[in-house]
Amino acid sequence: MKELAGVAASAGSGVAPAWVQQNQELDIPAGKIDDAGAEVAALHAAIDDVTQELNDKSANAEGELAEVLDAQAMMAADPELLEGAESSIKEQSAPAARAIIDAGEKYASVLEASESEYMAARAEDIRDVCMRIARRVLGAPPSAVEAISEPVVIAAAELPPADVAGLDPKLIAGIATEQGSRTSHTAIVARSLGIPAAVGVRGLLAALGDASLLAVDGDAGVVYVDPDDDVRHELSSREEARRQRRGELAARVGDRATHTTDGQRIEIAANVGAAAELGAALEEGAEGVGLLRTELLYLERTEPPDEDEQLKLLTGFIEQLGDRRLVVRTFDFGADKPVPFLEQDPEENPALGVRGIRTAREHPELLDTQLRAVVRAAEAGGRLAVMAPMVATAEEAEWFVERAEAAGAREAGVELGAMVEVPAAVLVAGALAERLDFFSIGTNDLTQYLHAADRQQGALAYLQDPFSPALLAAVQKVCEAEGTWVGVCGEAAGDPAWAVVAVGLGVAELSMGAQSILEVKAAITALSLEECRAVAAAALRAPDAAAARRVATEALP
Amino acid sequence: MPEQTVKLTNDVGLHARPAAVFSKASAEFTCDVKVEKDGNDANAKSIMSVLKLDVKGGDTVTLRTSGENEDVALTELVKVVESL
Repeated sequence: MKELAGVAASAGSGVAPAWVQQNQELDIPAGKIDDAGAEVAALHAAIDDVTQELNDKSANAEGELAEVLDAQAMMAADPELLEGAESSIKEQSAPAARAIIDAGEKYASVLEASESEYMAARAEDIRDVCMRIARRVLGAPPSAVEAISEPVVIAAAELPPADVAGLDPKLIAGIATEQGSRTSHTAIVARSLGIPAAVGVRGLLAALGDASLLAVDGDAGVVYVDPDDDVRHELSSREEARRQRRGELAARVGDRATHTTDGQRIEIAANVGAAAELGAALEEGAEGVGLLRTELLYLERTEPPDEDEQLKLLTGFIEQLGDRRLVVRTFDFGADKPVPFLEQDPEENPALGVRGIRTAREHPELLDTQLRAVVRAAEAGGRLAVMAPMVATAEEAEWFVERAEAAGAREAGVELGAMVEVPAAVLVAGALAERLDFFSIGTNDLTQYLHAADRQQGALAYLQDPFSPALLAAVQKVCEAEGTWVGVCGEAAGDPAWAVVAVGLGVAELSMGAQSILEVKAAITALSLEECRAVAAAALRAPDAAAARRVATEALP
Repeated sequence: MPEQTVKLTNDVGLHARPAAVFSKASAEFTCDVKVEKDGNDANAKSIMSVLKLDVKGGDTVTLRTSGENEDVALTELVKVVESL
């Protein structure tokens, strides 16, 4: 047995036969081809497939991974790459698979020599894209990783982004890589899929030899090559305890609509931006989507997405949700998140600038397109709600309602609401409620604006506590507005202690990241509404955030 | 053939995401778009060709357009590079 230390990247542990990511070798027929026309046609078809596949993966991914996949999709469809490959097919009678690999290599070898580490990494992206196209031409699976059919622990120098985006948690018992950090693609995706992982494990591949078994301890960041019985026993009993706790929670509360012990229905929903996240959230027991962030569809674009494209996105969610509610937040970009298709002068205070509904009022046609897509999704059978971000005045709420009604929202049964993240909205919640069906409190921004404290500013972290007396009083005030239901979609909603206080204050829906759902459901299910109210009253009386947190935490089962 | 010189003000230069944004924007015009750095030319519509230029933050590049709507294209694409 060998023990190798790395970085803990994704919790849990797994033991399975080692599967080593080799430099991919493809069996490309040697010699010259006869029919250049057919070979070029096969290349075009493979390029179309791979471009589509990478675009789909990008749409289902987030952050930097989505960006890299998007750039890879553009590489696949690159006009010069194609020209280079076509000319070696036509002039040297090269097989398409060989032609595309060689054409890509011309770019990859130049980038590899770049002194910029970031640029050198793009060389691997190009090689991976060309290899995928070549495999498609030859009818092989998209990549070696995607051909895995038995449970394994993957060992690799680093996994290509497109492989990371296609990992199947049922087959991958663990991942160990030589490179990477807690924020690399592999680590982020492993966490979101619940695959145990250790990254940055130096000397991993050299230590493997002809090892048959690999164990990954994702809690400690340690990899065992050919683990002995003691290690296997310890890891499996720890994994068993973890699984039991989650299994017990899942069995108790997972599939059930959440109610307090005295029967008050509380909806525990998920915050999502991409379809893959929803799948994971539903498995954890999400009862709906309380926040669909639609910005991802707009960022990086030179033209805004049209109505059909937006409808397609919504339909993908509705298919998974059935009759569970989908709360769509209209686009929240502007000064703080610029998009290429809108001209916007840089502002000194982007957080206080033209963003959210303020951007919508300057470009109503963008909002109308989005509202029509929501209405059509509802007409097609979805249970839709739509809310505007950054609403501060009753006049803005009125404007939003008028646009939504003009798009047919009432007839289609779409609920209309507003994010509460600006302090002004809290103070005029009663007037907003006369026009709206619901509120959703964005605790991160509301806390920042209540305290006039930049949430990116580390030194001001003490002003960003969701248990702060000001935030709790704001939640109470919003819940007092008549005729609307109140949800919370900030990070605080995923903290079981805070969630209990929120329910006690009158919140009816809590929306959070998938990993928090089971624990919050368990906490709410164990208490009565009366008990939650008593905890909330005690938290409101607490002199400071720390005391409020203590009161709430003590009340947890 | 109109041309204009632009300085990259972002930290990372024309890397994956900015290169993708720039190439996509260039591909929306029918005219030819070239980007030049240190005497090397690239087809702006080809992300691979743009990456190969290895443009870093603070570098200066020259954009050239030729063909239909070349002036509009140049103005727009200079804006894109400045906003990266």
